[in-house]
Amino acid sequence: MLSEDQRDALQELINIGMGRAGASAAAVLGEFVQLSVPRILILRPGLIPAALERILGSEPLTAVRQGFHGDLRGEAVVVYGAAHCRELADLMGYEDLLEPGAERELLLDVSNVLVGACLGGLAEQIRAEVGFSAPSLMAVDEAAASLIDVRDVDLPCALFVEVNFRLEVRSFACHLILLLVEEQILVLRNAVDRFLEAL
Amino acid sequence: MSPLNADEPGGFVADHLDVGVFAIDAAFRVTLWNRFMATHSRQRAEAVIGRNLFECFPELPRGWLERKVRQVQALRNYAFTSWTQRPYLFRFDHNRPITGGVDAMRQNCTFMPVRGEDGSVSQVCVTLQDVTDTAIAHQALAASLVELEREKAEQQRLIGELEEAHMQVLQSEKLASIGQLAAGVAHEINNPIGYVSANLGSLKRYLDDLMKVLDAHLELAAELPTECRERVAARTAGIDVDYLRADLPQLLGESCEGLERVRRIVLDLKDFSRMGETEKVPADLHRCLDSTLNVVANELRYKAELEKCYGELPEIECVPSQLNQVFMNLLINAAQAIEERGRITITTGSVGDEVFVSVRDSGCGIPPDELRRVFDPFFTTKPVGSGTGLGLSISYGIVERHGGRIEVDSTPGQGSEFRVWLPLHGGAD
Repeated sequence: MLSEDQRDALQELINIGMGRAGASAAAVLGEFVQLSVPRILILRPGLIPAALERILGSEPLTAVRQGFHGDLRGEAVVVYGAAHCRELADLMGYEDLLEPGAERELLLDVSNVLVGACLGGLAEQIRAEVGFSAPSLMAVDEAAASLIDVRDVDLPCALFVEVNFRLEVRSFACHLILLLVEEQILVLRNAVDRFLEAL
Repeated sequence: MSPLNADEPGGFVADHLDVGVFAIDAAFRVTLWNRFMATHSRQRAEAVIGRNLFECFPELPRGWLERKVRQVQALRNYAFTSWTQRPYLFRFDHNRPITGGVDAMRQNCTFMPVRGEDGSVSQVCVTLQDVTDTAIAHQALAASLVELEREKAEQQRLIGELEEAHMQVLQSEKLASIGQLAAGVAHEINNPIGYVSANLGSLKRYLDDLMKVLDAHLELAAELPTECRERVAARTAGIDVDYLRADLPQLLGESCEGLERVRRIVLDLKDFSRMGETEKVPADLHRCLDSTLNVVANELRYKAELEKCYGELPEIECVPSQLNQVFMNLLINAAQAIEERGRITITTGSVGDEVFVSVRDSGCGIPPDELRRVFDPFFTTKPVGSGTGLGLSISYGIVERHGGRIEVDSTPGQGSEFRVWLPLHGGAD
């Protein structure tokens, strides 16, 4: 689907987008955000659960999903370990003990920031228009392998982008996974070609 | 962004949408306020535009909303709220003033960055969607889900009870069929016992008469001429008459005793199938227990310290003689379970509309695999001759006919507790 060059370029593109994302997320969170170099995989949907399990391990997870549409279309999933959810509370200035409702709102908020920043950064790099749907809670305390039910996914393959977030001062960390449908790979490939030409 | 101009199509639509639309600038001054917002907040656009949002609506969650708006400005990105986590942003009356269901309009909000010419964001536009109907439907669904879960749990419990009841029916049917058999056997045995017993009585009388005859003959024989005495002696050589005279009544006595035992077993069998007396009267269980204790005092005295923990018991409808038999069985079993010397505790009390009598011993206990069989007829662990194996199954039948149950709890090596539960107001029968 992608040549080695294209793949490297795409990784770089996403990396630049993510860098900006890190900066703006840091501005909102008031903490320096470390991001891993994005990992890009092209997977058959049936392999997604195994990939998630490999990346996330076997501890119970909480996940938020958010759809995006426009020139780029797909779904973003932000995955938190249970221990990290609490850490978020004072990060976002919730001083009081969190009720379940408030804790979930917080998760949705942080996920929205991360997804918006990352995809916004990427979209800006490739000059794409992207809109967002409201984020929703996808799973609470579930195993990585059962986060996404792929039985009904009717796609030959999907683009799987994984980024890890870590805050410098606190122990908070989470994973962002972007899942794009196959046709988006072509959109990205064109963008990559444009990017390479401009070099 | 300027206030909506209803003369322009875009402005007209924004103003008349069935969605709340408003915008604020970096200083949280309202720059846009559509008709939905005006009618629901009862604050006209003219009264709000240009003023600080928190000044107009002091009840808004200020800290949270400020962070949210700053976020949108900094990231130039959308932000959202959902009614499931935050029921509403503005406390508006909902669209069900009559049928009700929720306290205020449920809202989903979207915060959108309004980009200026240079791409920077200072204004944030917020849309506010009325999702009260969805929320109510969602709540109803969630409630029926909870109800379903509750019903499922209840059904699970009932299935458990049904299984329990099934087991009990099996147990009582087994007892009933054996009871019928036993009644038949008892009846058959009763007949021969009757005439053997009568014959033994006659035999005893005849024997007494024969002895008198023998005495007379022996007395007179002494007066016979020597030659005659020698002939008699020769004909009865080897017969020890004195021994016969001593042993015969003993043999007869033992036979009568044996017969009495057979008669008791047959009686037990009859009791097991059906008690003779079935009239229920109000009775004081403590009095029943005390009179039973009198009867079995001898059995218990050398085996156990007796401890009575009587609680408050109202009189209950029962057949006292039958319950006496149950208590006697339990007490004798308790005593027999104790090898050297131990303790028997009798506890009574009431829970709800049931009363209980518990007999606990510090004896050898019952192994788990035998625990299921203790109520089976003819099941006994006692040496041959000391128990018929009918005591507990008779007790089981009696308590069952009183609408009660017997629970058993036992730890091998530590002792057993048999607890008889009886309904306050006489059960079946």
